[in-house]
Amino acid sequence: MAGARLTNIALASPAGVANDEILIVVFIRGGWDVLSIFPPLAGADRSYYEAARPTIKVPVSGTGAAIQLNSQFGIHPALAPLQNLYQAGKMNVVLATGLQDDTRSHFDAMEYIETGTPGIRATPTGWLTRHLSSSPGLDASLLLPVLSAGVQTPTSLLGDPKVIAVDTPSSFSFQGNWRYTNDQRMALRHIYTGNTWLDAAAVETLNALDIMENAAIGAYTPATGVTYPAGPFGDTLKTIAQMIKLDLGIRIATVDIGGWDTHQYEGTNPAGYLSNLLAIFAGGLAAFYQDLDGAGAQNYTSRLTMVAMSEFGRRFKENADQGADHGHGSAMIVLGGNVNGGRVLGSWPGLSAAQLYQGVDLAVTTDYRQVLSEIVSGRLGNPNIGAVFPGFTMAPLLGIVKARPAFNYTALIPSVLK
Amino acid sequence: MSKKPKPDLSRRDALLVGGLIAGAALAEPLIRLATPENFPAPDTAPQKQTQQNSPSDLPPLPPLSVIALNRLAYGARPGDIDAFNALPGASPAIQLQAYVDQQLNPSAIDDSVFDARLNSANLTPLTKTLAQLWNDYYVNITVSGIANYNLRLPPVTAVRTATILRAVFSKKQLFEVLTNFWHNHFNVFGWDYDYASATFAYYDHEVIRANVLGNFRQMLEAVGASPAMLFYLNNYTNRATGPNENYARELLELHGLGAENYLGTVPASSVPLDATGRPIGYVDEDVFAVAKCFTGWRVNDSSTQSGVVNDGTFLYYPAWHDAAAKTVLGHPIPANQAALKDGRDVYDLIAAHPGTGRYIARKLCRRLISDNPPQSIVDAAAAVFTAQKDAPDQLKQVVRAIILSNEFMTTWAQKVKTPLEVSMGILRATGVDFTTISDAFFWTFDRMGQPFFGCRTPNGYPDVREAWLGTMSLLNRWGLCNTLLGGRISANGVTWSVDMVSQTPTVAQTPAAIADFWIQRILGRPMYPASSRDAIVDFISQGRNSGFKMTAAETTDLVPRMVELIMMCPDFQWR
Repeated sequence: MAGARLTNIALASPAGVANDEILIVVFIRGGWDVLSIFPPLAGADRSYYEAARPTIKVPVSGTGAAIQLNSQFGIHPALAPLQNLYQAGKMNVVLATGLQDDTRSHFDAMEYIETGTPGIRATPTGWLTRHLSSSPGLDASLLLPVLSAGVQTPTSLLGDPKVIAVDTPSSFSFQGNWRYTNDQRMALRHIYTGNTWLDAAAVETLNALDIMENAAIGAYTPATGVTYPAGPFGDTLKTIAQMIKLDLGIRIATVDIGGWDTHQYEGTNPAGYLSNLLAIFAGGLAAFYQDLDGAGAQNYTSRLTMVAMSEFGRRFKENADQGADHGHGSAMIVLGGNVNGGRVLGSWPGLSAAQLYQGVDLAVTTDYRQVLSEIVSGRLGNPNIGAVFPGFTMAPLLGIVKARPAFNYTALIPSVLK
Repeated sequence: MSKKPKPDLSRRDALLVGGLIAGAALAEPLIRLATPENFPAPDTAPQKQTQQNSPSDLPPLPPLSVIALNRLAYGARPGDIDAFNALPGASPAIQLQAYVDQQLNPSAIDDSVFDARLNSANLTPLTKTLAQLWNDYYVNITVSGIANYNLRLPPVTAVRTATILRAVFSKKQLFEVLTNFWHNHFNVFGWDYDYASATFAYYDHEVIRANVLGNFRQMLEAVGASPAMLFYLNNYTNRATGPNENYARELLELHGLGAENYLGTVPASSVPLDATGRPIGYVDEDVFAVAKCFTGWRVNDSSTQSGVVNDGTFLYYPAWHDAAAKTVLGHPIPANQAALKDGRDVYDLIAAHPGTGRYIARKLCRRLISDNPPQSIVDAAAAVFTAQKDAPDQLKQVVRAIILSNEFMTTWAQKVKTPLEVSMGILRATGVDFTTISDAFFWTFDRMGQPFFGCRTPNGYPDVREAWLGTMSLLNRWGLCNTLLGGRISANGVTWSVDMVSQTPTVAQTPAAIADFWIQRILGRPMYPASSRDAIVDFISQGRNSGFKMTAAETTDLVPRMVELIMMCPDFQWR
């Protein structure tokens, strides 16, 4: 990437200022079809788009028409729940994001993104792990700073000794005969005392159990008027909201939404598979934001940033199954109380044959690490981008978030905003 | 925008040594926080650094009987360790060979007691042909004029029940362990209410089990032509007018050559050749060509083409096939070949490629030995794989070479049991007697993150310890010990129970004696470190001096809880 490079020093956090910002990382697994989700609405690109996707294109008008974001781009109508947040300046979209690596493998791409070291498989830690271990603004005494909502912990948190995985908080309990479970737990404390990885995991689990029990977690009632979509994605977001409101010190949480590998039957708009999935995705994010957007002490959105990303986008040209195969360029959504919202960001590479990556895919013009680095430095107060993303140098800021006042970050935003 | 230079193929190749994970979104099991100072520069492949426990922290190597029964079986049932020790042979290594040769010849094992139990479970989908399954569970699901999609599930439900019964009660343990390995390797999400669930009994029996000890090339084609896989990876609609690459990509990346041999999007012409004259790996051009080779590989389903029989069997449909010439892995596929020949050529090329041998060998070693198996045994197993590529018992020979290696016999505690292994192990060790399984079991089991045939992504469940050590997974693992043995699981009105008091010898009357009996019975060896045994004795003594004689009421109350506790300990969790 050409252009001036910022030194990390420019974004340094004042020493001793604790940072209570919350970051939620939503991983969209399977490779979301950004060209159906953020379709081009006008110009030559619209013509290329309609020619490449005769059956799965999102129309400009009529039934199932895209919702217009600006003169050039829209969003899929199933993302309607996010429209208000966009218009209120709480959300923006970065187009043509992705990996500076040439894989079209789900599993390679996810791993590269989550380790934060594209092209290197063997990295022993995730990017969030390295953020947590290098962040000067994180209060070390927090009880539960890192939450993985679900059973499996994602690679972005690989190697983090503090992450806890929770599916539903009220069921985070030690099952057994009530008369003896305390004795069993005490015995486990005496037994898991070695220095092995298994001992470490067991102690972490026993500690988390103590904290969660102490918090006396019951059933969760979201804020008035908030309804999460049914299913695992809504449930896990609900879990995160509940955990945040318990004030146990959650600073980072991860959540997955799967099912995006649409080689087949995306469905014609407005009905169909992709529409249903997008409705769950958008409904979940909107409900979560609203749930945390209370007044006074119940307001968490003022310190909330959410970022949603996928391992890649899909092939520009549809296949014969009303789907699209694995592609390259993707898109990211950033949402939160201090986002420079209501904007479509990034440099649009175009959809002519010459502009496509290898002639077939949306190109990547913004390294996904740029987006994450702006959040990490601008909101989370961690200037050590070199530790979080080794070997990566930030490009000029896209201005994705409003920097916390200490950073004098807004002045650095160049005029590349669309 | 400046792009990163094209990947350096030699660097990719160097990464082969590091191994790759089998699972989604989980990398190598390493715990070492990187700092800017010690993080390697991005253009150098970092050295693998498995977290090292100092030798005093690791448990000592247990007897070979314990290693074998915890890695080649779902744990020891009462009497299994004695039976191993009674095998002919002057040393444990020779006894291991006798054990493995028995286990790798499963048709010669008298399993009649288990067979009777399985028969009594009345799992009727297991007795049906593919066409019958299709008719009974795919086509005929309408009740009173309304389609009831739950009627698509009995085959996968029956396979799940049979899988658990076999894991717990069958003597053909290594066959079951390997069946699980291959199911996971050729993963199909079984609960789709569609082609896979309705035909899952066929997929399990005729596709996976029929080839577990057989030939990899044959297995590839059996999988690729099965309705479950054709549907799951969308090949059943793959046609010349707009190929669907889903199956082709995963065939190369997951089933065959493996991601360790994927070189990305560089031109095929730029890929170096190996010593055998083959490209050292595959690129996206190969994926595109393979997708074309499999156009027209379909299922006889309800699609409305003339001549199609709706019976769920395989269909080669020439009208959808792209008959143009292609090149796959540097090998020309001529135009207008005979029916099926394009796809079969692809299977031949994949099965014969040395990269496939290394990938499959590494994955088998990862299952049977350790998360990062030594390169020496991977190379040795890969050599067998390649040398025996046409042998009808190729996979049996590969497995035998791995198990009878020094690496197998001298490795311990590099892995933790998966949820499946630990739960089957509990049921085996304690002798729970059952033939039906209630949902109550799955409520806890599934929350450990490994529901049967429930992995939605085609890479299957991860086979590295990091995947199973999360707080939720461990908590439910401990909970399962209590649930399974605490009288909390009932099915058809019968509570799963096991009388641990009557299994305790009458001479063991004090807490210490009872604890020592059950530690040996469950673990087959003393606990490590010795202080763990003290904690067990303290538990059953309930804080009293451990030399007293326990009353009947106390043993009834405390022995099951103590056995649960032993199973929560690291000595039961290592493998």
